[in-house]
Amino acid sequence: MVARLTGTSVHRVEDPRILTGRGRYIDDLAVPDTVQAAFVRSPFPHARVLGIDVSDALAGPGVVAVLTADDLARVAADLKPAGPADLRLPVFGALARDVVRLVGDPVAVVLAESRALAEDAAELVEVDYDPLPGVGDMDRAMEPDAPLVFAELGTNVVHRSTHRYGDTERAFDGAAHVVRERFVQHRHANVPMEGRGILAVPDPSGGGLDVHTSHQSPHALRMHLADVLGVPGHALRVRCGDIGGAFGQKSGLAREDVAVAGAALLVGRPVAWIEDRVENLTVGGQAREERLDVEAAVGPDGELRGLRVRMVLDQGAYPQVGFPTTGYTSIVRALLPAAYRLEHFDFEAVVVTTNKATYVPYRGPWEVETWVRERVLDVIARQMGVEPVAVRERNLLTPASFPTTSCTGVELQGFDPRRTFDDAVAAMDLPAFRDAQAEARAEGRLLGFGLANVVEPAPVPPSLIRAMGIMAAPRTVQEARSRLEPDGTVTVFTSQQPHGQSHETTLAQLAADELGIALDRVRVVHGDTMLTPFNLVGTGGSRAATLASGAVVGAARAVRERVLHVASELMEISPGDLELVDGAVVARGAPSVRTELAEIGRLAHLRPGLANADGRPGIEESATFDSAEGTWSVATHACTVEVDPVTGLVQILRYLVVGDCGAVINPAVVDGQVRGGVAQGIGAVLLERSAYDDDGQYLASTFMDYLLPTTTDIPSIEVRHVHHEPTGGIDYRGVGEGGAIGAPAALTSAIEDSLAHLGVRVLDQHLPPNRIVELLDDAGYELG
Amino acid sequence: MSAEPRLEATVSLRVNGEDRQVHVEARRSLADALRDALGLTGTHLGCEHGVCGSCTVLLDGGPVRSCLVLAVQAEGHDVVTVEGLGTPDDLHPVQHGCLEAHAFQCGFCTPGMLISAVALLAENDDPDDAEIREALGGNLCRCTGYESIVAGVRRGAELLRLDGEG
Ligand code: FES
Ligand code: FES
Repeated sequence: MVARLTGTSVHRVEDPRILTGRGRYIDDLAVPDTVQAAFVRSPFPHARVLGIDVSDALAGPGVVAVLTADDLARVAADLKPAGPADLRLPVFGALARDVVRLVGDPVAVVLAESRALAEDAAELVEVDYDPLPGVGDMDRAMEPDAPLVFAELGTNVVHRSTHRYGDTERAFDGAAHVVRERFVQHRHANVPMEGRGILAVPDPSGGGLDVHTSHQSPHALRMHLADVLGVPGHALRVRCGDIGGAFGQKSGLAREDVAVAGAALLVGRPVAWIEDRVENLTVGGQAREERLDVEAAVGPDGELRGLRVRMVLDQGAYPQVGFPTTGYTSIVRALLPAAYRLEHFDFEAVVVTTNKATYVPYRGPWEVETWVRERVLDVIARQMGVEPVAVRERNLLTPASFPTTSCTGVELQGFDPRRTFDDAVAAMDLPAFRDAQAEARAEGRLLGFGLANVVEPAPVPPSLIRAMGIMAAPRTVQEARSRLEPDGTVTVFTSQQPHGQSHETTLAQLAADELGIALDRVRVVHGDTMLTPFNLVGTGGSRAATLASGAVVGAARAVRERVLHVASELMEISPGDLELVDGAVVARGAPSVRTELAEIGRLAHLRPGLANADGRPGIEESATFDSAEGTWSVATHACTVEVDPVTGLVQILRYLVVGDCGAVINPAVVDGQVRGGVAQGIGAVLLERSAYDDDGQYLASTFMDYLLPTTTDIPSIEVRHVHHEPTGGIDYRGVGEGGAIGAPAALTSAIEDSLAHLGVRVLDQHLPPNRIVELLDDAGYELG
Repeated sequence: MSAEPRLEATVSLRVNGEDRQVHVEARRSLADALRDALGLTGTHLGCEHGVCGSCTVLLDGGPVRSCLVLAVQAEGHDVVTVEGLGTPDDLHPVQHGCLEAHAFQCGFCTPGMLISAVALLAENDDPDDAEIREALGGNLCRCTGYESIVAGVRRGAELLRLDGEG
């Protein structure tokens, strides 16, 4: 008897391939006659391009072509990012034409017989730049005399909006305390271990393109590319194989995608571009650069009565095609109250453009709402001299509050934030920690405790989309297809595009259980626009567990029904008296009366009319899943740290996540998602930074400058699940983002706690050792 | 300028137990030779500047970053890549340990991690977690937070010891 797979940590289907070096990442593909692309990129943050001389480069060995913006314009239209009316968006070329606007701005692409030759020739392209003043800082960008990134926009402030909920005047008038702080989150990046890459193969009969790429959303890329290149949709196929991580970075339409695909059309040969690390760090996309000025009105017992928030987001130079930055400011606004009581809330959003890399979505792109909210609660606690735990208890919604609608219009239901919070606080044994902290302090050692509550919308509730101001709230619906093959195996087609999330395993677990077959009888197909159902977003926003799961289960059930119908005909037993067990249809109560699934698959294909009244061969069914009201997963992060006052190094002593993500398909996969996210959050606080100087010169283009956490920086991360309230239906909730959202908040909370008695306040999210030492210095801390 | 002749060389080396010859430009790295000339694409390039460890291979039994070794430097030496550890049907104990532990997600750092782990276990067949973390300290993984990898290597060590006894 095949045991139920869902809910257990079955081994990953991906692993035999991945572990033996047989994965197929974009750079592993070899198509005969491929030419390799290398980009000529601007060393200046801002400059006029007076001329480009490609003659030396063209004469280089193995060089096939050197293309500039004018060449590319023959096959590719300009990029026109779409967005709401109150976001000013420029139109720009895949290759820069007259002006470069950031370090790494591509001005030409060299095609040669090998990558080394292409790089050699790229060095020989002579670009005559007239440097212009650049702007690498959001405040400078907002000044009236600042250099304009896009002269045609007439301003660097590309968006401004205000929203008011309730009556903050009144809340502030009656406040017992008022807290005012400026919170700064630094620019950092997704940094997948595999950079971006694309291989565009022109159809020899002309006009079409077969595009292989490392991307999260093949269908979206196909739509965008077809649009820009004027290639008919039916002639453009996008395929993704194994993807070495993305975390949001490989979404939307990249300028390099257009340049490479366009180049393939121009030269009529396959063109490949594999991004190197310098490019990835420089122009692959960066995220999270946001500043929030917050004023909080607080009642006598620490209750949050009103908030005034002004958020400024630095979107860099070229906006991403696919994700307008107002999407981030509006989700931050909508989610900021999260699972806390808040009635009065003013929010102003400002988006500025600067001479920096494109702002891209990064794992939980709204993360700053959690960081700032939890920081504010800590500030309130310190100001009032009470425990951060107490302030959160005072303000968190209780089970009796549900269902409820937040002041921003988000409907909340189906979870209990006190469950994870109380569990986490109890597990950390706060009283014992406070004793240890006091003892340590007496010896001059600095210990701290921090915590954060996260709610993660996954699948996204329609009320959240409405609250973000997206009127025609698209329903979050997803489709899957399932086919019984002639040999009795099952193929599942999903519109998800895994890049490390183990879909080949988890979706197979669901289908296998529905059909009573072993895991290795199911194959999950993804990443081919010719085969898979359409889905604009691909994998992102934790859509796999939450939406694809429902669709896969639905499609598998539909196949099961067909199978039972066929079996019933063959066995002359009514479908109600049959069941699927161990790869066969058996008579209930008489398991020796059976027909193998393989037999059904074979006959369904060979005998017209057996499976389908209209004579269609085989059994193939599709189903959609609608997330309906959406759901929330919740988590509490708690950690303790020790800060070394001499070196500024932060050691994480313990890190705990208690979460409720509904039913769990594969616990090891879920815990892996949580831990990976937490590690990224820890990296963000302690190490990572996409640093620029004031003019926009980029300063972190290698792994020597952009530091990622290693094995010795990331502690063992405890993950616990609290029991959800089973809804009886498809109740898998997203956890992909939560780890990365909660960690910066919990960690900065703990670091501040360790230094608070010295008067240190943590208002910047980036806390590398030198910053900690600076904070201690500024607080007048003398080493004993 | 571009007209300079490029130096090329034929390199004889042993790869995963087989004698191989590759003809490469002298400036090409061992990683390039393995991936492009020999089609061994299991060795991944995550940075090409010696930091990420994705490209780690064994050179005469010791771990090296194949992006920092020139192919010509491997002349006459013995190279083991991830393809030389085990096959899907016959995983190396470390690969099996990692399978059991769900050690990896996207799999891009995997080959380098496995090679570093194999090198560690050749020196120390029963490392504790701190020793495993130390040994993998030069291999970046962006997906996992490392804990599952440490668990996988620990389990791999156990399986390897059992193998040794068996
Ligand atoms: S590719 Fe060799 S160390 Fe990163
Ligand atoms: S598993 Fe993705 S980088 Fe390690």
